[in-house]
Amino acid sequence: MAPAADPTSSPPIPTANGDLQPFFVLHKAASRKPAAKTRRRIDLSPPKNSDGSASAEGCNDNNTRFETFRFLWSNTESIIKDVLKNLNANVFDEIDKWVYASFDLIRACRTLELTSATCNYPILNNALIGAVGASSQIFTALLSTKNIEFVDDISTFAELGAHLRSTGCFVANLTSLDFCAKNGVGGSLKSLLRQFLMVGIDAPEMSILASWYTERETNDKPLVVIIDDVERCSGSVLNDFIVMLREWVVKIPIILILGVATTADVLRNILCSSACLYLSVCEFNLGTPAERMDAIIEAVLLKSCQSFNIGKHASNFLRNYFLKHDGTLTLFVKALKGFDGDNSLLKEPVIKRALELPSLQRYCQTRGNCIDWTYALSELKRLHQLWSSIVMCLYEVGRYRKIALLDLYCEMLNSGAPDLNLVAKDHMTSVNNHHSHGCTQDKGYVVWAFQILRDLPTMELHKLLDRWEMLTRGIAEIHEKVKELQSLTTLEENHSRRDLREESKKPTSRTYRNDRTNKITINEKVVSFLQSVFREYIHPIENIPLHEIIFFDNVDYLQTALIGDPRRRIQADLLESRKLLKCSCCSKSPGVLIPSMHDTSIMYTLAQEHGDLINVHEWFHSFKAIVSGVHSQAKKRSRMSPSPKKRKDSNIPQSRSDASIQAEFCRAVTELQITGLLRMPSKRRPDYVQRVAFGV
Amino acid sequence: MEPSDVEEEEFGFSRNYFLAKELCSSGKKSARKVSDINLVDEQELREAYAKLEFKHEKEINDLVNSYKKLYTEWVYMLRCGFGLLMYGFGSKKALIEDFASTALTDYSVVVINGYLQSINLKQVTVTIAELLWDQLKTQRKLENHPKNQQSFHTQSMDDLISFLDGPHLEDGECYVCAVLNNIDGPGLRDSESQQYLARLAACSHILMVASIDNVNAPLLWNKKMVHTEFNWYWHHVPTYAPYKVEGIFFPLILAHSGSAQSVKTASIVLQSLTPNAQNVFKVVADHQLAHPDAEGMPFNNLYTLCRERFLVSSQITLNAHLTEFKDHELVKTRRNSDGEDCLFIPLTSEALQKLVLEITQ
Repeated sequence: MAPAADPTSSPPIPTANGDLQPFFVLHKAASRKPAAKTRRRIDLSPPKNSDGSASAEGCNDNNTRFETFRFLWSNTESIIKDVLKNLNANVFDEIDKWVYASFDLIRACRTLELTSATCNYPILNNALIGAVGASSQIFTALLSTKNIEFVDDISTFAELGAHLRSTGCFVANLTSLDFCAKNGVGGSLKSLLRQFLMVGIDAPEMSILASWYTERETNDKPLVVIIDDVERCSGSVLNDFIVMLREWVVKIPIILILGVATTADVLRNILCSSACLYLSVCEFNLGTPAERMDAIIEAVLLKSCQSFNIGKHASNFLRNYFLKHDGTLTLFVKALKGFDGDNSLLKEPVIKRALELPSLQRYCQTRGNCIDWTYALSELKRLHQLWSSIVMCLYEVGRYRKIALLDLYCEMLNSGAPDLNLVAKDHMTSVNNHHSHGCTQDKGYVVWAFQILRDLPTMELHKLLDRWEMLTRGIAEIHEKVKELQSLTTLEENHSRRDLREESKKPTSRTYRNDRTNKITINEKVVSFLQSVFREYIHPIENIPLHEIIFFDNVDYLQTALIGDPRRRIQADLLESRKLLKCSCCSKSPGVLIPSMHDTSIMYTLAQEHGDLINVHEWFHSFKAIVSGVHSQAKKRSRMSPSPKKRKDSNIPQSRSDASIQAEFCRAVTELQITGLLRMPSKRRPDYVQRVAFGV
Repeated sequence: MEPSDVEEEEFGFSRNYFLAKELCSSGKKSARKVSDINLVDEQELREAYAKLEFKHEKEINDLVNSYKKLYTEWVYMLRCGFGLLMYGFGSKKALIEDFASTALTDYSVVVINGYLQSINLKQVTVTIAELLWDQLKTQRKLENHPKNQQSFHTQSMDDLISFLDGPHLEDGECYVCAVLNNIDGPGLRDSESQQYLARLAACSHILMVASIDNVNAPLLWNKKMVHTEFNWYWHHVPTYAPYKVEGIFFPLILAHSGSAQSVKTASIVLQSLTPNAQNVFKVVADHQLAHPDAEGMPFNNLYTLCRERFLVSSQITLNAHLTEFKDHELVKTRRNSDGEDCLFIPLTSEALQKLVLEITQ
């Protein structure tokens, strides 16, 4: 009665040799072409471009493309790495200092207990605990990542490990996988030993580590164990691990660094109270994901002009995806890699393609197709630099209201349209309602930034101009003016300070008013400067020559390649098979099921008309009615699938045997089962299959 | 994607679900049985199944053919450090194996059939390590790897992975490509296998090309695996080719569900047992036919009855018979309202009558 599940009774379907082997070697690298084709191949006509020269050229192109990619990506990657490193540098240094301070404490205790520490067994029996005192605790750093997506922090912890190694610690990086309940504490100890001793050990013991450590000539280095996501560890295993380490803590100076995504309370939740007492905890904080995102955008998209940029659609898509779905920096970085890999520039011969770009036409000289390349390229660089630095200046203003650079970047790409209404709009608001804080949604960020500038106190304005001065260095067009404004504010500040001093001596209301108007004029000057550069340099990216190449904007491509959407796409494949197959027979009658369609496609379309349970009997009969083109039987069940069966114009002969129709039905059900869209009948409901997906 | 679209999409999804639920509960539930279909004999069905042709052979070939021009692009993406993940309806086995044998000739290729239950990832890894070893040996770059190839079998998975994850030498890349049909296959669905696959995919000497068929396959991976280890680059390549080998171990829906089928298998099992065992089964069957509404036959009653008829001499022998029945799913136990363990046969009354008739003959 049990379904015969053993493969031996399976139907004799002709299969190729390797199909039923779990794995096999298709070919080896050395034999460039597989000599004997034992494998089933698709019956395909040879590719049209089969002459040697063409393929060699293609190969060459591909290699150039790959080299370009390698160059671009290694560039971008190192920029990202540096940015993250700089962001974390302070925390890492703090941790480093703390590690050595803790190590000194342990050592102080070690010398105290030297006699007992040299023997080769755990020394902390109960009598000794009191004597050793504080040292019976394990020094533990809680590194708060403030990020529930631990995937972003993997590299951070690897970097931390490298940093500590460079300052002379022994470091082991463990993950939650090493603390799973299945392998128990033995598993974690095994990977710990593996990392410290560099060899695999079958029977892990702490004494192996102890003897390894004491055998070293200079055993004056701390052993640091980093566990990057404590929340995911199995509590009991971690508990055992800590208890075990603590027994050895004087003999082996182990220091723990635990990555925590939520709060410090987490230890109390996953460890039992006695284990918590063994830990002497010190907390450290990493930057938030938003800070990291801003830093990466600044470094990769705005400051470096060597790489590619993302256009408005792509940036919008990524922003939405970052905020609403994925939330990981890793995806963003992967997307950047995707751009570097898939750029139109890399795909086709550059010159040929570039000539056709509309953005270059302006730079075409009158005689023929000769393009002033140097001019176009330098113009590209200049405009892009200007654009970036103004975005950065705006971002500096936005820092007062915690604006994310990603949002700003997207908005600048979007709003840099020729309608400079923004500036005009700002004028309106400034006249009508000077003190209201503009809301970002309505008038756009820029108008809002102008408002902030107007309300900024002189001191802050001065600081802001200092930062602008740094940002605009090397950009002659803006730098001079910024410097001018800067000197103006310095003057003003001194002036006001003197005023203030005088004011304190003889308080009058007049000076206050005077001061206020002065301040307004200075702020107004800065605002009008920003407005003028904004008007002049924030052009839509379409005005930048070669923007088609440097701004990647192929959202559809990006979306399908990075995220994939099997749930929707596979269903769509089934429901719209004729679109993809492009057959002449089925395309004639769109929206109607006809016998010549793909069986599984017919079945899935029929399944759409059922509820979450499908009666197999009815489903079979509607299927049979369609494939055999018979309509008399089906009429009674027209409730199930009304329209399709009315058609009788199929030319399929009616001599289809029951067996073949039933076999087709079985095959279609199996295929739907493979795609996971269907659950098979259970013992409880032997006559129904269950639908799993609802709606495309 | 605009935020409103996303919301609309989510709303649409839940609406569809509830509509489907409603359709099921409001409409009169159809009581038609699978057995009412005029089913052909299983043997005949299997023969027909084996002989099935597939429609649109030409169009499918054209479609698969059209992916050929993407091969160079795929190789390029592999070299860039992405893993290729093929999805879309239809068997992609032939497609990716063709891709591997025409476009990946520079690398050794191992094909792994994830649709089979019997995959041993350790063996796969050993094979990959051996291939890499050969490759490195031919390039004479093994001065710093004194290990002997024979020892791969005795090495632990961690050692193998760290060998495969070794640094690349400056003069040229050295890869082994793992082509994985159905990475979401039944034998690979546990998280341990997926973790190992992810670690393999992340190795510096391994390129991975995989296919998925299940719509929920991405649930197998966490973000770490997807973004940093597999580093998938998705390709939507529907082929509509029949799942010939992939579906080979799936039971045919019309072959096992009919009661005729279960009666037949049950009688085959019973006929291979001793007459005493058959009679014990008959006692349970008679009781069930006499009390169709009861939960089943309490164990003690069965024992008394069987002793009276000299079918068993002790509880141990009865238990031996029952174990045999349970192993073949001829008999199951459940509790009745008094908390007694009851034995019942998971068959309908008609089927049971048929079965009793068959074994008495």
